[in-house]
Amino acid sequence: MGHHFVHVADRANEVLDPAAALEFVSDPGFGGVTMFVGRVRDLNQGREVAGISYDLYRPLALARFGEIAEQAQREFGPALKLYIAHALGRLAVGELAVVIAAGTPHRDEAFRACRLAIEAVKHSAPIWKQEHYVDGDSVWSEGCSLCDAPAVHAATSPAPAHDHDDPQR
Amino acid sequence: MDIELELFGALRDLEAGDRLRLPVAGGTVADLREALMGHAAERWPGITPGLLKSCAFATPDTVLRDNALLPADGHMVVLPPVSGG
Repeated sequence: MGHHFVHVADRANEVLDPAAALEFVSDPGFGGVTMFVGRVRDLNQGREVAGISYDLYRPLALARFGEIAEQAQREFGPALKLYIAHALGRLAVGELAVVIAAGTPHRDEAFRACRLAIEAVKHSAPIWKQEHYVDGDSVWSEGCSLCDAPAVHAATSPAPAHDHDDPQR
Repeated sequence: MDIELELFGALRDLEAGDRLRLPVAGGTVADLREALMGHAAERWPGITPGLLKSCAFATPDTVLRDNALLPADGHMVVLPPVSGG
């Protein structure tokens, strides 16, 4: 449809680019542009984090990002432009794990579309994170089961019922 | 039928090569889950208890419910609970 862009950035070759996201969702008719940037945090549940490795099933993740964008378009109108990109591979503290950007004629839809997309990505895209701690230990995050119909609208509540305690929040 | 399974996330740590070929007695995703649980009981002593119950099974296009038929090409992926973002 040309109004959304979805991408997986393999850290071995590239880093996520917020400027490119903003450019994609910009339009002379848009008065509102929002962006969410998820970064690797240095502390999680009291443990010092050295980095995170993201594993991802690329074909299904890209298909899911596309479905999320289409759902957002249905909810917020055909003018919406949405950018969804997620990192793959090992990231250090401070590096970017996910970039979401939304552009719409008015700010309310831009905020809501951005929120819808990040919550849906976190709860329904086939992506897994393994935290690496400063003490040398590594642990896969527990996450959110996909067994129960990962409908986009069910993953878009502004106040999620649970928190993955991930290092970007 | 035999199913070729690709493993992700925490499951990668359990099987060398991140892949597994499993004979499945039956034609549904539920039958595959049962076969994988049997494999885990024998070969994956380190698996987190209950993890396979919350794993989803998928093709490159979609997540399949337990009552769905296994794909004719025999290729599937196992998706542990997700934690992107």
